[in-house]
Amino acid sequence: MSRWFTQLRLTLRSIFRKDRIDQELDEELQEHLQREIEEGLKTGLALEEARYAALRAMGAIAKSKEDSRDARRVNFIDDFFRDLQYATRSMRRSPGFAALAVLIMALGIGANTAVFSVVNAVLLRPLSYRDPDRIVTLSTRVIAGSADSGQSSLDEQISIPNFQDWHDQSSFFEAMAYYNGREIPATAGALAEYVRGTQVGPEFFQVFDVEPILGHFFTADEMKQGSDGSAMISYAYWQSHLGGDTHALGQVIHIYGRPFPIAGVLPPGFGFPDKTDLWVPARVSPDDQKYRTAQNWLAVGRLKSGVPLEKAQAEMSSIAGRLEQRYPESDKDRTVGVTRMQDQMVGNVRVTLYLLLGAVGAVLLIACANTATLLLGKATARTREVAVRAALGASRRRIVRQLVTESLLLAFVAGAAGLLLSYWGSAALVALAPSGLPRLTEVGIDRWVLTFTLGISLTTSLLFGLVPALYASKVDLNEALKQAGARSVIAGGMVRMRGLLVVAEIALAVVLLSGAGLLIKSFIALHNVALGYQPENVLVMRATVPVPMQAQAATGFFQDLLAKIAHLPGVVSAGATMAPPGNVESSSAIFVDRLPPEKDWLVAPTAALSVVAPGTFAALGIPVKRGRDFNDDDVPDRPPVAVVNEALVRKLLPGQNPIGKTVFCLFDNFKGMTIVGVVGDVRQRGPALEPMPECYMTYRQHGFNGNTLSVVARTVGDPNTLIATLRRLAQETSPDVPMKFTTMDATLSENVAAPRFRTLLFGIFAGLAVCLAMAGVYGVMAFAVTQRSNEIGLRMALGASTGSVLRLVLRQALICASLGLALGLAAAIAGTRLLTSMLFEVQPNDPWVYLAVGILLGLVTLVASYVPARRAATIDPLTALRQE
Amino acid sequence: MSKPTDLVQGTLDLLILKTVALEPMHGWAIAHRIHQMSSEVLQVGQSALYPALHKLEQQGWIEAEWKISETNRRAKYYSLTPAGRKALTAEAANWERLSGAISAIVRTG
Repeated sequence: MSRWFTQLRLTLRSIFRKDRIDQELDEELQEHLQREIEEGLKTGLALEEARYAALRAMGAIAKSKEDSRDARRVNFIDDFFRDLQYATRSMRRSPGFAALAVLIMALGIGANTAVFSVVNAVLLRPLSYRDPDRIVTLSTRVIAGSADSGQSSLDEQISIPNFQDWHDQSSFFEAMAYYNGREIPATAGALAEYVRGTQVGPEFFQVFDVEPILGHFFTADEMKQGSDGSAMISYAYWQSHLGGDTHALGQVIHIYGRPFPIAGVLPPGFGFPDKTDLWVPARVSPDDQKYRTAQNWLAVGRLKSGVPLEKAQAEMSSIAGRLEQRYPESDKDRTVGVTRMQDQMVGNVRVTLYLLLGAVGAVLLIACANTATLLLGKATARTREVAVRAALGASRRRIVRQLVTESLLLAFVAGAAGLLLSYWGSAALVALAPSGLPRLTEVGIDRWVLTFTLGISLTTSLLFGLVPALYASKVDLNEALKQAGARSVIAGGMVRMRGLLVVAEIALAVVLLSGAGLLIKSFIALHNVALGYQPENVLVMRATVPVPMQAQAATGFFQDLLAKIAHLPGVVSAGATMAPPGNVESSSAIFVDRLPPEKDWLVAPTAALSVVAPGTFAALGIPVKRGRDFNDDDVPDRPPVAVVNEALVRKLLPGQNPIGKTVFCLFDNFKGMTIVGVVGDVRQRGPALEPMPECYMTYRQHGFNGNTLSVVARTVGDPNTLIATLRRLAQETSPDVPMKFTTMDATLSENVAAPRFRTLLFGIFAGLAVCLAMAGVYGVMAFAVTQRSNEIGLRMALGASTGSVLRLVLRQALICASLGLALGLAAAIAGTRLLTSMLFEVQPNDPWVYLAVGILLGLVTLVASYVPARRAATIDPLTALRQE
Repeated sequence: MSKPTDLVQGTLDLLILKTVALEPMHGWAIAHRIHQMSSEVLQVGQSALYPALHKLEQQGWIEAEWKISETNRRAKYYSLTPAGRKALTAEAANWERLSGAISAIVRTG
C-alpha cells in the first residue's frame, strides 16, 4: 500500500517538479564526474587529463539523463500531453468533423446519463433512513396456486389481529408497526385543504429510527384507543403552514373537524409513506380489531441488527403457518411476505427502468459505431500523415496511442456536453414520469452519475477509437507514400469495416424500433379499449365534509350541492361517487340470497364496492341496461337497494333475472340489498385490466366514507370552466370543506402514465437510433462513392447508363440494410420477450410490427443512400478519369 | 535507444540492491563497490547505473536522500526500503537458481 503511495508521490513529483528533478539529476551526474576525476588525480593524472578520462569513461551523459527520465516515466506523461496538444490542434483544424462527432457522442452520453440518473435515484441509491437495509415491509400473501390467488389487489394489506400475532410471536424485529395513509382534510388556521395523513400504530417511528427535531413522539396515553390523540408534522408542513415557528408545538390542526394539538416535528426529508405531512395515532375500528379478513392496514418492521432477511422470512412463515391452522376461515392459503422496503418500493418499475437503460445503451452503441465510421473515414484521409510518422521511426504502438488520445479528447468533450444535456434530459424525464415512480424528487447528478458518465466516456472512446486507430497504424509505408492523392491502398479494408459497422447500427436500430413498435401498438390498443364509460367533458370534484364518517351532515352537504349543480347552465348531468373509474377504493366478498357463515367468506367471489349518488351513471356515461338508477327515494328508512354491473350478473346470476334478488357484501353493514338495476361494465382498475364484478350502493343508505365523495358533472363544453362555480357553491354550503378538482380525462391519462412514459421514451430512443443509423448509411455510401469515383467514371465511359450506376450503389446499401435487418429482427424476436409484461393485447412476436419495421428501415436506407448514389450517377467520366 | 538486455538489466538491479543493503550509498560509491566486490570484473557505467537507480526508486525498492558526503559535498544517497529487502531476497534466490542451472549445463559440456 505504502509502496503505491511512494510511487504515486514520485510520479507526481516527476510531473510537477520537473525542473527540480532535472536539476537534481544534473547534480548527481556532476558529482559522479567529480569523483571520477578525483580517482584519476589519485592515479597521478593531470587535472585536464583526468577530466577527459572521466568524461570518456562516463559516455554520453545526455542519453543517461534521457534514460533516467524514462525510468521515472516522465516521458510517458510528456508524450501524453504532447498527444493531447496535437489532438486539440487536429480537432481545431477540422471543426466540422469534430462538432459532428462531439454532437453524436454527446447525444448518446447525455441520454445515457439522464436515464442512469433516474435509475440511480430510484433503484440504486439506498433509502435515506438509518440502516435502510434493516427496514422491511410485511404483507399478506396469498399462496400461489391456491383457489383464490390473484383475486384482489388489496391482498398486500394486513389485518390487525394477524399483525398482533406476528408482532408478539416474532423475535427478529426491533420494531414492527401498522399504518395506513390517505388524503385527509386538514385545517391549520383558516385554510381547509387535503394533505397526506397517516395513522400509525405503536413503534412506527422506531422502525425508521428517527427522532423529532422538536417536541416528542406520541405518549402512551395519546396512542390509547379512544383518547384525543395529537399529531406529528413533517418538516415541510412545519415550514409551509407554521412558518417554522418553534411555538408551533401545542397549536391545533383540525382533521375531519376534530382538534389535534401538534406534539412534534420530524426531521427534514422524513415523509413516510408517500410524503406524509401529518401523522396521528391509529384508531382501529371494532371491526378491524375483530376480523382477520379486514385487511385494511399496511405494516413495516425493522430487523434486529445482523438478522438476515431470509431468517426473518422463515420465522414469519412459520408464524403464519400456525395462524393458518388456527384460523382457517380467515387465514387459509395466506402467509406473510417480508420484503426489503427498497425492493418493495421499486418492484414495479425495475423492469421498465432497466429496459430503458438497455435501450438507451443501444443508442450509445449506435452512436459509437457512427463515430467509428467517421474516424475511419478520417483515418483514410490521414494515411499519408501516419505513413510519414511511421517512416520517421514512430512505432505502431506510438501511433495507435496518439490516435486513441485523439478519441479520448473527443469523448471527454462529448462527455462534458452530454452531462450538460443530461441535466435537461433528466428534468424532462422527471416531468414525463408517471407519478407512481418512487423517489423521483431525488433524481439529480451525484458522484455516481458523474462516475458513470466518466466511465462511459472512457469506454466509448476506446470503442470508437481503437478500431480506426489499429487500422490506420497498419499502413503499408511503401505503398502509402507512393500514392499521390488522398486515396489509399487500405481503403478496401476500411470500406468493409465501415460496412460492418453500418450493419451493426441497422441491427441495433431494428431491435429498438421493434420494441418501440410493439409498445406503440400496445398503447394504441390501450387507448382504443372500450372503457365502459365516457371520460370526455366530465369534471371531478373531490370534497370532504370535515365531520366524523357516518354523520348525516355529510350526506346533506352533497345532496344540497348536487341539487344546485343539476340546475347550472352547461351541466348535462351530475352525480357523486366514492371511487371514480380508474381506482377501486373498496372490495369485498359478495353473496346472493343469504349471508353465509364467516368461514365461507374467503372463498366467495370478490366485487368492487362503490357508493354513488343518483345521476352518477348518467354523468359518467355508464348505460343502465336493466331496471333503474338510484333515486331520491332510496333513503335510510327505505329497504336497502343495490345496482350491479353485468360482470357480477354473469358471475353470480348467470341466465337469471337479477332484478329483485338480494345481495350481501361486507361493507359498513352486512344488510341484504335488493338489486334494482343492472349497468354496463366499467374498467374500474384502469384501461389495461378487465372489468370486475361491481356492486353499487347509494350514498344516503351507506354512511361509510360518506363524508368524502367525488362529485362528477358532465358538461357541454370544457369542464374546467365549471371549477370556479363549483368552488363557490361548495363554500356557500360549507366553508370548511377542502376540495380538489380534476377531470375524468386527466384521471384516465394518469392511469396510462406508465405505459405512455415507456412508449414515449422507447419511441424517442428508437427515433434517435434510426436517425443515427441513417447518418451512418449516408456516410458510408458517400465514402464508397468517393472511393470508387474512378471506377464509376470508367464504367460510364464504357457506356454504363445512369440507371445502372444508381443500381450499383443502391445495391451495396441494400445489402448492408438487409444484413442488418436480418440480424436485428432475429435479435428483436429474441429480445422483445422481455416486454411481454408491458404489452396490452399485443403479442411480442406480432408479425405486422416486424413487417412495418422492415419496410421502414428499407425505405430509410434507400433515402439515405439515394443522395450519394445520385452523385455517383452524375459523375463526369472525363473529370473522374483525369484525376488518376 | 538500445536498452541493456533483460539479463544484464535484471542482474544490475540485483547488484545494486545487494550493495545498498549494507548501508546508504551514493551512485559513484555503488559503482565503485560493485567493481571492488567483483574483484574488478564488473564495470558499471553511469549510463546504465543512473537509469537503473531511478527505476528502482520509482518502483519503491530503494529510496533516495540528499546528504553531505565524506568529501563534504552534497550527494544523493540511496538506501533499501522494506519492499526492496523483500525484492532482494526473491531476486537473489532467483539468481542462485538461474546461475546454478547455467553452471550445471556449462560444466557438463
